[in-house]
Amino acid sequence: MSDSVLSGASRASETANNQKTGILKGNKVVSATLGVAIVLTILGIGLWVFQLWGGMLNTNMRNLSSWGLYIILFMLFVGLSAGGLIISSIPKVTGLGDFGGINKIAIWTSITCTLLAVGFVVVDLGSPWKVWELFAYANFSSPLMWDIIALSLYLIISIIYLWATLRYEKGKLSNTGMRALSAIALVAACAVHTVTAWIFGLQISHEFWYTALLGPWFISSALLSGLALVLIVVFALSKLGYVQIKRENILKMTKLLGVFTAIDLYFFACDLLTSGFVGGESAAVVTMLTQGPLALFFWFEIAVGVAAMFIAFVPKFRRNGAIVFASCVSILAILCKRIQLLIGGFQIPNIDYWSTTTGPHSVEYLGVPGGSLSSLIYAPSLLELGVAFGVVALGVAILIIGLHLLPLKPLKK
Amino acid sequence: MTRLGMVIDTFRCIGCHTCAMACKLENNLPNNNWWNRVLTVGGEDMDTPGGIYPNLSKKYFTLGCQHCTNPACTRVCPVGATYKREEDGVVFQDYDKCIGCRMCMAACPYTGVRNFNWEEPQYYVGIQTGSGGAPTHKKHTVEKCTLCAHRLARGEEPACCQDSICPGRARYFGDFDDPSSKVSQLLARYGGEQLLSDMQTEPNIYYIDSRGAGKDLSIANAYKEALNKTAGSEAVVASH
Repeated sequence: MSDSVLSGASRASETANNQKTGILKGNKVVSATLGVAIVLTILGIGLWVFQLWGGMLNTNMRNLSSWGLYIILFMLFVGLSAGGLIISSIPKVTGLGDFGGINKIAIWTSITCTLLAVGFVVVDLGSPWKVWELFAYANFSSPLMWDIIALSLYLIISIIYLWATLRYEKGKLSNTGMRALSAIALVAACAVHTVTAWIFGLQISHEFWYTALLGPWFISSALLSGLALVLIVVFALSKLGYVQIKRENILKMTKLLGVFTAIDLYFFACDLLTSGFVGGESAAVVTMLTQGPLALFFWFEIAVGVAAMFIAFVPKFRRNGAIVFASCVSILAILCKRIQLLIGGFQIPNIDYWSTTTGPHSVEYLGVPGGSLSSLIYAPSLLELGVAFGVVALGVAILIIGLHLLPLKPLKK
Repeated sequence: MTRLGMVIDTFRCIGCHTCAMACKLENNLPNNNWWNRVLTVGGEDMDTPGGIYPNLSKKYFTLGCQHCTNPACTRVCPVGATYKREEDGVVFQDYDKCIGCRMCMAACPYTGVRNFNWEEPQYYVGIQTGSGGAPTHKKHTVEKCTLCAHRLARGEEPACCQDSICPGRARYFGDFDDPSSKVSQLLARYGGEQLLSDMQTEPNIYYIDSRGAGKDLSIANAYKEALNKTAGSEAVVASH
């Protein structure tokens, strides 16, 4: 006990330093990025209003592919958020030391990503002004409802966690309290991403989605993409001179990146084997991914995963540039995985004979008939890309403003 | 309990799309929106046979909401905008409540029976069609077959199942919980197939093939027998 009081006192002595990064002060690159982000956000909002006003016919989503880019990015950002928080809370929970004071930045990145995930659900809704109904008429058997509850709780817990971390550094929170809260945050992060997986994994209607593996697999993807994002942010901030992270910590994280890549690919292999081994209709999923219209995304994910593992596990490849490269492509690989999962779910129809719906029946509303492996059932329209850029730009703006205003600078040891 | 549903005779269906048109008119469906479709089992395109000449085959079936006993869609709707009506088993959709998240469309295994109004509803004709009471269609909401709930309220059968609509007399509507109903009798006589029965949804649209009826009786007589029996399914089976 006296030990924790002592460390509390030593922590308190550091609060004299200004913990704000003050990232916007005198840095033209960051200020310009913020400016561009705000302009893109405003443009994005404009496009979103156009989507609501002019109709979602301006997106490329149709009855046979009723979700698209927005839900792909929703999955990606929930993953980035959960992953980031898991990475920053595990060292604290296990007491194995931390990654060198980047916790606060990681938590802030997480919060930003959660906000983006919520943003992507909102732009996907046909009638966003009816969101209040979610509270008034909540149907608790819906995995979507579970996810809304989980995301809200998770957002609140993340904010409390950030606040507690700041209190802890000022010596105003006990070590035990901090560890307990870290554990809660860790559980919440795992929960939120598992529930997100259940939106898809509980749907018996889609061959590719309906698997118990989806929850754990989402967690492994979250860990990979979240860690990669934390690495990128850390490198960017140290390049700008706002944080100094020990090489040792970077190496720890890089090795973890390799491990998470391996786990993620291992789950993918398990899933594909289970689908392909039975043959018949299940094997269609494997054919679709390896040779069909999604093959590009599939093989990119595999190739990048192998490259990232080389960079992580072979000491001479672990140069800063290579690590940043591995982090960036890891996030892209997870994006590719989300694309495969979402589009792949819609690509294989349960009731074939869709080509019969040419003629008097509308193709305009149905979308490109699937069934054949020759063409993608969905690709985003320019409007969707524009709105998505707007949402991401909003995230960049929130991230920069938070880094500037909040005391997120790592403590000097 | 009442469990409303349909029996569709794929042997008698000639793929004429009259039921699809009756549905579209009765419900005043917007352009591009179809609650009931006719699918060709066979070739690549509509009305094309499958197989290689001279061994060709052709079959049609119509596809709309299956009004499942265990619907996948109602469970996932976050606001309960789609729900199963307890009094008659109709899977219903509340357009005012629907927030347009399209979760139900992702959950429904019956590819394409749920329609989203991707734009402000537009109509090829300037007047409202149907017998009145059709729902008002709304932009960015999901809709689908309601078994013509507005007609049911008046004690009428769904538009696609009216005697005057299907030229092949291939569509029957009724209560599966009532053993003396037309649909129960037909099921007892011919058995019945449900679409994607492995999806645990227990659909209330059954597909029968009355081909066997022509063997010892004329098809017309077989139907007459099936439809006129009021003594329950036993008698029908006994006469088989």
